[in-house]
Amino acid sequence: MALGREDVVGKPTGAATVHIERGPVSAFARALTDKNPIYHNLEAARAAGFDNIPAPPTFTFAAPFWGTYPEDQPEDPTGGKGSPMRELMGGLMAKGGIVLHGEQEFIYHKPVQAGETLYQEGKITDLYTKEANGVTMTFLITETVYKDDAGEPVVTERFNLIHRL
Amino acid sequence: MAKPIPKLRYDEISTGDEAPVLSHKLDRNDLVAYAGASGDFNPMHSNEFAAQAAGLPSVFGHGMFSMGFLARAITDWAGVGNLTEYRVRFTKQTWPGEELTTRVVVTGKEDAGDGKQIQLDVTLANQDGESKLAGSATVVAS
Repeated sequence: MALGREDVVGKPTGAATVHIERGPVSAFARALTDKNPIYHNLEAARAAGFDNIPAPPTFTFAAPFWGTYPEDQPEDPTGGKGSPMRELMGGLMAKGGIVLHGEQEFIYHKPVQAGETLYQEGKITDLYTKEANGVTMTFLITETVYKDDAGEPVVTERFNLIHRL
Repeated sequence: MAKPIPKLRYDEISTGDEAPVLSHKLDRNDLVAYAGASGDFNPMHSNEFAAQAAGLPSVFGHGMFSMGFLARAITDWAGVGNLTEYRVRFTKQTWPGEELTTRVVVTGKEDAGDGKQIQLDVTLANQDGESKLAGSATVVAS
């Protein structure tokens, strides 16, 4: 049975402790063609008002790939079931069609810098369907917040995934 | 405590002002480098055989590469650390060989209680003017 809106809205997608490190940040900036010394040279970062190398604006989207270490992860808020997104998208893909990244949003509350540890929590915030011209589009929205040691929000991400059939 | 330095002066900014344009010709090496740096190893971006088997002409670029590249046009102009909001809609895929060009335009400004902010419309398009990303951003000015 397919998951409906009431089944998933508000449910957690996951939680993680994410370490931001200089090497991955620099490699990420370079991959984006950004040679700005601020991402590669500590003196340049400090001269620009930072304590350490700052992360490029979209870095938190990739940060968990680099900085989640098994020894300091929080309790799994999905209770071992994993993100509901998997079941949702699995169910939709079984009908065929494609999954696309529709929209992405970042809200920056504080700078993200190498040497910091961020605490990530995600949840599903919406699920809805639109039909037009014989095409059915299912929209899945998640919100992920990265907080610092003081529990203050640092970055909020909103991720909009579309399944099109 | 980090204190990024705004590069833009609020009083000198007007609606319609544009940031310097950035252009980049996308190639397969970019897709490989971005896959490695971001952890997105979706074969559609790195495996030509898999992409063609899926009915595509070739591998295509990561949407988040485009979003990161467009962000560079904003941060080069406004200074790293001065972005408060950034959102995009992914309109079309990008393909190796395309020349991608940024456009960052001032749509308004506001001196509210919590600082001087500049609103921007941001887009990335190819050499034929085909839009790849469209969105908005807000930056802090001094």
